[in-house]
Amino acid sequence: MIDFLIWLEETRSSTWMRESGGAFFSSLVFHSIGMAFVAGIHVVTDLRILGVAPGVPRSLMRRYLPVLWASLVVVTLSGLALLLAYPAKALTNPVFYFKLAAIVAALWIMRALMRGVLGDSRRDPVPAPRRERMLAAVSLVLWVAVITSGRFLAYTAKVMLASHLLY
Amino acid sequence: MEDLLYSIGQKSGIYSFMHTSWGWPTVESLHFLGLSLLIGCIGLWDLRLLGIARGVPMDALHRLVPWGVGGYALNLCTGFLFLVSAPNQYLYNPAFQVKLSLMAIAGLNILVFYRFAFRPVRAAAAGAPAPPGARAAAAISLACWVGVIVCGRLITYFRPPYHWCFWC
Repeated sequence: MIDFLIWLEETRSSTWMRESGGAFFSSLVFHSIGMAFVAGIHVVTDLRILGVAPGVPRSLMRRYLPVLWASLVVVTLSGLALLLAYPAKALTNPVFYFKLAAIVAALWIMRALMRGVLGDSRRDPVPAPRRERMLAAVSLVLWVAVITSGRFLAYTAKVMLASHLLY
Repeated sequence: MEDLLYSIGQKSGIYSFMHTSWGWPTVESLHFLGLSLLIGCIGLWDLRLLGIARGVPMDALHRLVPWGVGGYALNLCTGFLFLVSAPNQYLYNPAFQVKLSLMAIAGLNILVFYRFAFRPVRAAAAGAPAPPGARAAAAISLACWVGVIVCGRLITYFRPPYHWCFWC
């Protein structure tokens, strides 16, 4: 593992991410903007399922799916770029795996909701069933966890680079 | 100004809370949560006015806006906690000055929107496009909030050399 990390952080692209000046910062900015949209769309859709803004038909929240997909692409690419810059910083930190697991769980819930209560316009007039309201509530908690663990990543990292572990 | 903010932070205990090992990142998490609410509510509202998600009734979608305002209020509070805990890192930082200016522009834009463009938006049918004035306001709003995120990132990424400050 450590050999792989040292190899990775010495590749030309990883070094460029750290040293080019603009690459790391612009990845950070894109990650922030993308994450605000990803989390924002999820939070608002969850709130809608929980009964906020009742005049908006739930099935019409799907019209925001293209924005969500675009934001997910931005978040993934910028996240990979940040990971490439300091692979050991994230991969040696349990908080990173917690964040990824929370994202996977939250996306899986949204997929279920899209196929269920958000997917059928005939169900728009009646309130969402209890089970799907529960899922929406769990999703809200998961996004708070994603945001919090994302922020704490910068504070809980033990090493910046794997080569630092050698000395 | 710096001394005043610093003494507020000291006397209220905010400074010592923020400089515990978990204080600063916890407040940062809340700050990002507020941002997500703001983008989720105001951002999606702006996108609807710009023609994305047409079919969503604007009158009903507008009921999300108070939640966005809630996110904004949360961020004013958490932002104040940062400010009084390291005033010299913000006051003289051009990124912070630009961020406040963009927030002021967004605020003016909101006033203009509700004064001149809101009534036709409310009256429009679900599938109708927003009137041009409302679309312009939405574009300004979206641009301002994205700019605010960029500046927010800049504040901590580049620490200010003091000579950058043009008013002190």
